[in-house]
Amino acid sequence: MNLCFELSEQDERAAAQAVGEKIRYCVPADLTLTGRRTEGYLVVGEERYGIIQDGECKESHAIHEATEYKVIPLVGNVLLEAKEQDGCRIAARASMQHAARYAYIAQILTSVASEKPIRIYNQEAEPACATCGGPLIRGTRICPKCINKAAAFKRLWGVSMSHWKMLTLGVLLLFAMTGLSLLGPYLQKILINAALEPPSGQQADMRLFMIAIAGMAGVLVGGELLTIAKGRIMTSVSSNIAADLRKLVFDRIQALSLGFLTSQRAGDIMNRITSDTDRIRNLIQEICTMAILQLITLVSVGVLLFQSNAMLAVIVILPAPLVAYLQVYIWRRILRKLSHKQWRIHDKANSFLHDVLSGIRVVKSFGKEAREIQRFRDYNTQFAQAAIQTEKVFSMLSPISNYLIQIGQYIVLLVGCNFIVGGTLNIGELVQFTSYAAMIYGPLTWLMYMPRWVTNAVIAVDRVFSVIDEQPEIMDTEHSVKHSIQGRIEFRNVTFGYKTYEPVLKDIHVEIKQGEMIGLVGHSGSGKSTMINLISRFYDVTEGELLIDGVDIRHIQQEALRSQIGVVLQETFLFSGTITDNIRYSKPEATLEEIIQAARVANAHEFIIQLPDGYDTRLEENGNNLSGGERQRIAIARAVLSNPSILILDEATASLDIETEGVIQEALQRVTEHRTTIAIAHRLSTLRNADRLFVLEKGEIAEIGTHTELMEKQGIYYKLIMAQRNMAKPKKISSVQEKSAASDSLSAQAVTN
Amino acid sequence: MPHDETVQREGAANGTVSLAEAAKIKYLTPHNARFVRTKGNMLSVTVENKAYPSVYLHCSFPHSNRNQYISVRTLENEEVGMIESLDDFPAELAELLKEQIAIRYFAPVISKVLAIKEEFGYAYWEAETQAGRCRFTVRNGGGNVKLVSDQKLLIQDVDGNRFLIERLDQLSEKEYRMVEMCL
Repeated sequence: MNLCFELSEQDERAAAQAVGEKIRYCVPADLTLTGRRTEGYLVVGEERYGIIQDGECKESHAIHEATEYKVIPLVGNVLLEAKEQDGCRIAARASMQHAARYAYIAQILTSVASEKPIRIYNQEAEPACATCGGPLIRGTRICPKCINKAAAFKRLWGVSMSHWKMLTLGVLLLFAMTGLSLLGPYLQKILINAALEPPSGQQADMRLFMIAIAGMAGVLVGGELLTIAKGRIMTSVSSNIAADLRKLVFDRIQALSLGFLTSQRAGDIMNRITSDTDRIRNLIQEICTMAILQLITLVSVGVLLFQSNAMLAVIVILPAPLVAYLQVYIWRRILRKLSHKQWRIHDKANSFLHDVLSGIRVVKSFGKEAREIQRFRDYNTQFAQAAIQTEKVFSMLSPISNYLIQIGQYIVLLVGCNFIVGGTLNIGELVQFTSYAAMIYGPLTWLMYMPRWVTNAVIAVDRVFSVIDEQPEIMDTEHSVKHSIQGRIEFRNVTFGYKTYEPVLKDIHVEIKQGEMIGLVGHSGSGKSTMINLISRFYDVTEGELLIDGVDIRHIQQEALRSQIGVVLQETFLFSGTITDNIRYSKPEATLEEIIQAARVANAHEFIIQLPDGYDTRLEENGNNLSGGERQRIAIARAVLSNPSILILDEATASLDIETEGVIQEALQRVTEHRTTIAIAHRLSTLRNADRLFVLEKGEIAEIGTHTELMEKQGIYYKLIMAQRNMAKPKKISSVQEKSAASDSLSAQAVTN
Repeated sequence: MPHDETVQREGAANGTVSLAEAAKIKYLTPHNARFVRTKGNMLSVTVENKAYPSVYLHCSFPHSNRNQYISVRTLENEEVGMIESLDDFPAELAELLKEQIAIRYFAPVISKVLAIKEEFGYAYWEAETQAGRCRFTVRNGGGNVKLVSDQKLLIQDVDGNRFLIERLDQLSEKEYRMVEMCL
């Protein structure tokens, strides 16, 4: 992290005057209080700090004037706040790209103010592009300079090349087809000049006539056969390439971090896998069949036309540039944007459908069907309008350009007839010429439609590769090892924030022994789930180390790590498939006996065996045909099947009634024995079997101990327990008590929420 | 719907606790709260003899109504109270509060969109804004460019900076076409 920005000479002089010769840190303070972006800097010297702007020191203070410095993330900007004796001061204001820097600067200034040693990390490199060394887009490994469309097509080419044999065969067939079709007009000329209208002084030649007729028939049949063969080959090639792409996108999505995936709409990602790759398939099919065919035809017919009569050829081709210009203009200015818009609306409508259909219970229970119908109608109309708009442009464009193109043909007839009358051309040659001319209009007209599919394809390629290019934030390195986990977990001065400047966990330093059951307790937002996310390595720690059996978690292969951690979440997700499939998910090679064992341990066997289809019961979407408790027990069976060394229970029993919870608790007790277990529960009674409880408060561990120890301490945990007990008490009728009960329940709710 | 309102009113008449009673909002007025700007340009408030050395103003409706229902909170996210409407305060004080709101919600208004280039899931913007000329990168999808009212467009860049287009219908044809692609 760069905390020592270079100052201009003028600024440096001002800074030296304000804070002394030695400038230890210098970071941009690029926002004024009135909201202007400036080239300002916050400079920190040995004992003073100051704001430098345009070669002037705007203000400067002694670091010791304040006791504490904090970075305050606001909306769209950050403040560095200095807590002084007579109130707080805005020490600096900056835009969000410097937020993380200010988090460090605040730490540094506080350390100086309180005369503690500075723990600095300004040597930490800022991520840079491997090719050009420029800055990357935050949170990605994409360099805006080094990425371009040509590269994407090159990659598409790379993907296509694995099917080069079939592709080459297809292209060869194309050449053969074009060659055959060019023979047609030549045979026509022979036919006319040899038999129908022989040049004066020559006899009609019946043998040539028959050969020409047979040749024409041969060209026709051969052409059709080649078309069939080419169609079959190209379909299979393009489908295979699209399948490869789908696989690439899906693989990448699986590898991407939770952070990226939660920032995207599910419908959006689904579209990229399905419709966008399909568009690319079309593109390949078009390029490999139509595009190449048309180009070969265009070039060869062009050559033949100019050979037979250059002047007529010029007349035929003359309107082409005009039309081409019209096409390009309309594509750039209108079509690309129109179809872009159409797709966005399509995506949005899809996401809406996904939303409403998954939330259909809510819709129905609030009786809002009519409203949703109206919303769908709106999306539908918007989409239809966008489609109509695009089509309108097309419907105008093609007749006009067709007309322009074919004007040439009339002129050819006019001039050609004059040539015949003048004796410089015979009928056979004119017929051959007009046939060739007719052939050139095909590719020319087709070229006009090209913008349409190129538009679609370019956007599709763009969207598909934007996912493929996204780099996972958490990656295994070559030094990553497969570690067989025993179950000792150690947080060593761990600080972590989803945004680096907003730490959710602060300086956590605890050790969880092998086989220990730990209960995590605390208000919502205190960092419990974050601790669990770090153990599963969904995110990497910002500072400090997280060790498993003494090995840094960043050095353990992700797959090996997660396969040894069992997780049961509050919201269980079951896939469609049978109960067996779902339990087996964590260990695909498990035997039927193991599945039953896991189910028995999870207290699920009893209810599964009662089902008419037993373990073969097919679950509906997300197991909707089971009750919450049943789903949860299957989830527990799934988690324990692989015999994980670490078990994580994140509110595993929160949404269940007390009786079901009892059954599951009993199961969990069996499961967690001698296994490192970390459980989060708001219902504190759930954690009574825990060996130790960690009470988290605002990202720090506030209390550690057994239930009895913490109750005796009468701290945060004690208050939480009391609040829950109060909530469980029956309400009294008298108004005074009612009031106090209301406030109790409110505070308890704050705890449970 | 009028029908719903009737039901609610009937509920209140039946002696059940009304929503307002249950919500227990504590309103700050010029009479019970004294707002002061600190020497270091921050805001402090004293409510019923209790002093809060630094408080922040959180708008309930930062896009649709910045004048009403402003929550006054400490850094620890404790609510000191709510301001029902800035109009209840004397002009000078209201101005101070507005200034503080402007500091919290920083989103320069775009006066002219100069260029938007879209590539590989990111849009690269260049625009003239109230805060000067800005270049920023916006990730596509995920609601980084969204309409927060009928005509007002909020754009959030990859760093978390925000920009506003106050009225979409006042963009030029060319600007609109560029912006529309990101919607």
